[in-house]
Amino acid sequence: MRDRRLRRRSRAPGAPLLALVLFAAGCRALAPIPPGGSPGPLRLSDLAQQGDAQRRASLRLILEGLDAEAAGAEDRGVVLYERSLGLDATNPFAYLALARHYAAREDAARALQNLDQAEVLLAAEGGYDPRLEAHLLGLRGAALASAGQWEESRALLERARERAPIEWADGRLSPAELR
Amino acid sequence: MARLLLLGLGLPIFVTGVVAGFAAAIRVVQLDRTVVARFEGPRFVVPSRVYSAPAMLYPGLDWKLVELPTTLRRLGYREAARARDLAPGQYAWGPSHARIHLRAFEHPSRPEPARDVVLRLDGSVVRDIRAIPSGRELGAVALEPEQIGAYYGLDREQRELVSLGEVPRHLTEAVLAVEDQRFESHRGIDLRRIAGALLANLRAGSITQGGSTLTQQLVKNFFLTPERTLQRKLQEAVMAVLVEIRYDKDQILEAYLNEIYLGQRGSTAVHGVGEAARLYFGKKTRDLSLAESALLAAIIQSPNGISPHRAPERAIQRRNLVLGLMHSQGRIGAAELERARAEALQLAAVTPDPGDARYFLDLVRRQLAESYDAAVLAAEGLRIYSTLDRRVQLVAARALRDGLADLEQRFPALRKSGRSLQGCIVALRPQTGEILALVGGRDYRVSQYDRCSQARRPTGSVFKPFVYIAALEPASGSAAITLASVLDDSPLEIRTPSGIWRPENYDREFHGRVGVRDALEHSYNVATARLADQIGVARVVDVARRLGITSSLPRVPSLALGTADVSPLEMARAYAAIASGGILPEVQGVEDLVDVRGRTLERRQLQFKRVLEPGIAFLATSLLEGVARRGTAAGVHATGLEGPVAAKTGTSDEEHDLWFVGFTPDLVAVVWVGFDEPRSLSVPSSVGALPIWRRLVMELSGGRVRGRFAPPAGVTVAEVEPETGLLALDACPERRSEYFLAGTEPTATCPATGLASPFLDGDESPLVRRRFFEWLRGQR
Repeated sequence: MRDRRLRRRSRAPGAPLLALVLFAAGCRALAPIPPGGSPGPLRLSDLAQQGDAQRRASLRLILEGLDAEAAGAEDRGVVLYERSLGLDATNPFAYLALARHYAAREDAARALQNLDQAEVLLAAEGGYDPRLEAHLLGLRGAALASAGQWEESRALLERARERAPIEWADGRLSPAELR
Repeated sequence: MARLLLLGLGLPIFVTGVVAGFAAAIRVVQLDRTVVARFEGPRFVVPSRVYSAPAMLYPGLDWKLVELPTTLRRLGYREAARARDLAPGQYAWGPSHARIHLRAFEHPSRPEPARDVVLRLDGSVVRDIRAIPSGRELGAVALEPEQIGAYYGLDREQRELVSLGEVPRHLTEAVLAVEDQRFESHRGIDLRRIAGALLANLRAGSITQGGSTLTQQLVKNFFLTPERTLQRKLQEAVMAVLVEIRYDKDQILEAYLNEIYLGQRGSTAVHGVGEAARLYFGKKTRDLSLAESALLAAIIQSPNGISPHRAPERAIQRRNLVLGLMHSQGRIGAAELERARAEALQLAAVTPDPGDARYFLDLVRRQLAESYDAAVLAAEGLRIYSTLDRRVQLVAARALRDGLADLEQRFPALRKSGRSLQGCIVALRPQTGEILALVGGRDYRVSQYDRCSQARRPTGSVFKPFVYIAALEPASGSAAITLASVLDDSPLEIRTPSGIWRPENYDREFHGRVGVRDALEHSYNVATARLADQIGVARVVDVARRLGITSSLPRVPSLALGTADVSPLEMARAYAAIASGGILPEVQGVEDLVDVRGRTLERRQLQFKRVLEPGIAFLATSLLEGVARRGTAAGVHATGLEGPVAAKTGTSDEEHDLWFVGFTPDLVAVVWVGFDEPRSLSVPSSVGALPIWRRLVMELSGGRVRGRFAPPAGVTVAEVEPETGLLALDACPERRSEYFLAGTEPTATCPATGLASPFLDGDESPLVRRRFFEWLRGQR
């Protein structure tokens, strides 16, 4: 009987999430204070004036999408990210925002696909701002957690937390934290 | 006796009367069933419509390049003389500003409100976009998707359903004023009207006036043929009464407004006020003015004879007559009458269906066929939002049409065969796999066969990059080549089950030892065939499969040179994966599908998977960039096209098929040219297919392609000596920068270890020896 209950609990859909939250809570308690003057992780609003006209317009749509998600309109957010791709399909941040969206929904496959695309495009742009690394690591970790790959996820989230202790303290990235 | 006679006559009359009454009752019941079946079932055939992706406006946009005013007119926007008080669907253009009142876009998950915006212009560039009246700066705004086609049934009726709540009161008033002023009070037939019509017809000596009520007209259109016989008239009257008994006035009026024939757009019949409002005024029904409503009511009598497009003066005359009737019946006041009469006729531009997207529509229909058959698509009024970029599509159609015509002009023999030279072009967004344009042939009216998605043809050299990718990928720890390697382009014989195969180059010459870049840039067959033989055809097939090629790939040595039959769409997808850093996208033609009630039935999800390491994809891109800079595709830059372009030409055996595949950071396009029944064109791809691709990209980019192909992490640059592929020291006579996967850079140097063999087979070149001794002499 006890065994059966345990098995049922481990199959519950919220189990990975719960584990993640507990892990994150532990991490938060032990979170080191970032060194003074550290610039912190990148926010997409920092990039609003970069790139050509298409990139800037595309980025504004992503920011609007993040705002929409933050206000609870998640589907609208996805629409705006996809629309931003219509303006600039090479914009890695649209895929990053999509990866965040799917990671938050525990859709590991889609989160990882979009993250791969974002990383390839960031690499093709001659590398990325090191301040973005926390999010790349953390989102991969979060996606892997929802795919049940605990060991790898734990390591990645740990590294994300080292780089962005506040944003990744709870093991997830909110739209506002990416914005 | 008399009584008997009376009984004898009366009984048959009575019996006949009873039988006739019974028969009539049965007939009435039958008619009632017909009425109910039609009213309670699917009342209207509503063709499903296909829309393009929305065009976007944003600061920095070159509005001339994207032909914004033309796009607005195509969408049915009307230009206003003054930029004040624009209604949705109107725009005004000034030297430094453009004001557009964007219409609302109704969609369950992607709605856009109607927005009045002003674009500040700086020459041909949009400097900024602001909302009116708030003045808030906007990042980007979307125009509503443009209808690119519809799936009609046999009757080719075009209709946009409206509910009575969406119809302005003045439109129903106008219709009632001219068509049936006692609609509210009669019960299906109007005896006063019939008597009036009879009198008028008797006076005229012919049928000049109808006495039908609106309900009778509806019954006639719904159930009956247009013939004018007493029997049909009687049937119409009975059914009109039945309709009035069963349904209320609002239901009847709504059905009438959706059913009524209101004109013609090409070969399709325009039914209902919803569709007519869109056709004549580019508006939603609810946005119609009084004068516009009166005009629609006016043309019911003779939609083609009083068509505002063909006979504007007659249309205005009759509109004013309708307005006069409305006033005399107390439906509008004198002031409204005067204002409406003074309103100038402002029609939306009639944009005939260019037909360029019909191959794409067929592709979408085939993709949807599993879930929605032709009957559903023709009748159920689905809204299909596609990925097609209207501008890319129009430019692609033009590029293909003009390119083929030019080719025939330059090579008249192509026209003399009696068969039509054909071609196709497909463009994708590499990162997402969205189809931006697809033109499957030269003229859809002549041939509906889509050569981009339905045809499979030998690919020629556009297949070769798969060989180089296979050779560049580390297998069993090391790659067969780097971009600095030297290949052997000397005579080659390969044993096959069907005999000895001896590949030849296009120029019928052998080029000895050639660099990897040279081999692909000049599309040397022999060097490529030898490379494929060394690494094994299985690895080449594996790469092609990973890149999404699903066509049959015979494992024969000649596969390396493109002897397998592949569709242009497959090839576009494969190159899209190279262009997007090794990530293969699913090809997408449909974004989402909405039913007639506005519910989303399907929503696509972007899907892609990593199939190549980014470094390998970049090396392949760099090779193909070289082909477009110095090789067989160098013609892409011939008319001044600037920016990053990677491309490959392909010409199949005997020049039956001309292929050109090229990509920029955000567009991949494939062009195929040939005859449906294979026949030599006697021109290479660089002459036949390349110019079509160049036209497309030149026009889309304005001559300047954005972005760049940048090496990802894990790719390094080293200076090499081109002849030998060794690391170049300062004293090397020639040197160039080359990309390598980190760790695969050559270790031997030129000239210090210039005699160390860089070749695959360990041979030494006389050229190397000569260079070495030249270098020695130079040291003294």
